[in-house]
Amino acid sequence: MTSLRTRLVAALIGALLVAGALASWLSYRSAHAEVNALLDEELRQVALSVRDYAGLDLRRLDAARGDPEHRVMVQVWEIAGGVLYLSNARTPLPLAARPGYATFSHEGREWRTYTLFMGPRAVQTAQPTALRTGLAAQAALRILVPVLAVIPLLALLVWYIVGRAMAPLAGVAQTLARRSPTSLEPLAAQNLPDEVAPLVASLNDLLGRLGTAFGMQRRFAADAAHELRTPLTALGLQIQLLERAQDDAARAAAIARLKDGVKRATRLVQQLLTLARLEPDAAEQRFAPVALAAVARRAAADLAPLAEAKPVTIMVEADDAVQVNGADESLAILAVNLVDNAIRYALPGGRVAVRARREGGDALLEVADDGPGIAPEERDRVFDRFYRAAGTEAPGSGLGLAIARQIAELHGGRMEVGEGLDGRGVALRLRVPALAGP
Amino acid sequence: MRLLLVEDDPMVGEAVREGLRQDGYAVDWVRDGRAAEAALAAHAFAAVLLDLGLPRKDGLEVLRSLRARRDALPVLVITARDTVSQRIEGLDAGADDYLVKPFDLDELSARVRALLRRASGRPAPVIEHGPLAIDPATREVKLRGAPVVLSAKEYALVAALTERPGIVLSRAQLEERLYGWGEEVASNAVEVHIHNLRRKLGDDTIRNVRGVGYTIPAGR
Repeated sequence: MTSLRTRLVAALIGALLVAGALASWLSYRSAHAEVNALLDEELRQVALSVRDYAGLDLRRLDAARGDPEHRVMVQVWEIAGGVLYLSNARTPLPLAARPGYATFSHEGREWRTYTLFMGPRAVQTAQPTALRTGLAAQAALRILVPVLAVIPLLALLVWYIVGRAMAPLAGVAQTLARRSPTSLEPLAAQNLPDEVAPLVASLNDLLGRLGTAFGMQRRFAADAAHELRTPLTALGLQIQLLERAQDDAARAAAIARLKDGVKRATRLVQQLLTLARLEPDAAEQRFAPVALAAVARRAAADLAPLAEAKPVTIMVEADDAVQVNGADESLAILAVNLVDNAIRYALPGGRVAVRARREGGDALLEVADDGPGIAPEERDRVFDRFYRAAGTEAPGSGLGLAIARQIAELHGGRMEVGEGLDGRGVALRLRVPALAGP
Repeated sequence: MRLLLVEDDPMVGEAVREGLRQDGYAVDWVRDGRAAEAALAAHAFAAVLLDLGLPRKDGLEVLRSLRARRDALPVLVITARDTVSQRIEGLDAGADDYLVKPFDLDELSARVRALLRRASGRPAPVIEHGPLAIDPATREVKLRGAPVVLSAKEYALVAALTERPGIVLSRAQLEERLYGWGEEVASNAVEVHIHNLRRKLGDDTIRNVRGVGYTIPAGR
């Protein structure tokens, strides 16, 4: 029973039945009490009138027997000698022991009696209690029957009203069903009942967030496709040059260029994958305390061959006490990207310093070089996706620093650009909240 | 023919330069918008191959300021900006042709040839001049119907001189059309090529205008 409508109808009818039953029972109870009082009084009055008016003249009593309304059985005893008079001969009742009211069973029926003693005689009036129960039940039925009669009508009404009340919900559902899967515009929120409005608001909120996420994905895909186009163009051209090559030297040169091109496209794809995995909603990163010094040393060691080839001197100045709450793997990618970037842009014979230190409550991972630096007007853009410094010979995807920024943001920090070594070059810096030191 | 290539990507730039050189063009290659403007101010080019997404100054800006100076230099845009509106924007900014990356080297060559042909006001793809027939597409030169084998520089020299017959080109002008930046030029290189051409095409094909330069006479 998942339909709200069915459930509501069933619940309301159930409630009505319970209420009707309760009302009937209460009315039965109170009717029973009233009937008891009334009939008890009647029993007494009849007994008194038998004493007062009939004066125990038994002939006059006989005259009263013809009354069809006569529901009271009257008995008169001679205490010493037995029954003198019996209004209903079929059911002679025993005489009660004490005067006043009494209730007792006789031959399978329950009786209510009133007894008067007058010297040698006794008058007892009696009524079966079933009569009283019947009267009380009649009163209860007078309540219950209309309730039962009204139930089908009420069910129809409730069915209709609930349907009407649910119409806005159905409208929302219909609007959603008719939508194309790409349509993420918010639903109309006007003229909605208070109960449906929060649902629509939440839906709109979700749609909004979905839209943002889709937009980011789309932009990312477009950016990625756009950026892949350049290395693919290079590859296509290099293959054509290879085809055109007339002699072995030209062929060897073309193959070397082609290899570089493939390497570059591969690197770009790897970087794109890294970036995609770092998208905020991608996966919950497992955070744990990470020593930035270890991250810095590892990155420097990993890239030592590249540095030697240039040649560039790498110096690590790391404070082992600096710890952050972070994802070790992501921080390693960030450090490698920063160091790799510094080596690529450094001049041969230059220096690159990798530092891990604390500054107030922040932990810093900094890579500084003494290379050509970055023009002030371009500093804001170095962390943009696919940004590459003007006039750079250094091969690169333009994604390394964008990845670094993404990782910084995942850690609740940011990337900064500062002065490099000896007033030259540039320092790229990760700033994240530090874990309380020992 | 000297071309200016403006392309910021080292690999694409190198490959395009290499390919165009093989086609016999002298190619100067710059990597950003400002360098392109400096090169355009300093040298005469037959055409420009212009990337749009350039550092320091966007290719469209370079193109617009070129056209603002009423410079009719043929411009072929080579870019990754591929939407219809971007192409329209590029052409409306003054591009003569628009080629989207990734492109084919042979198609690039063909488009450059078409561009140069239109710029010279010559409708036919094959240049015919007297007994000479020059096909820029195949770089085949025929003298009275018989193929003549020319080196790349010799071909470039003939192509430069037949581009506008009757115009006298100085040795410096010829050098500029034959050699891009960074290419070693021997002091008598042009004379040597002229000498070889005369040997292959006949003494009277290229005339020496004393103290001025060389010409292929018009109206023969």
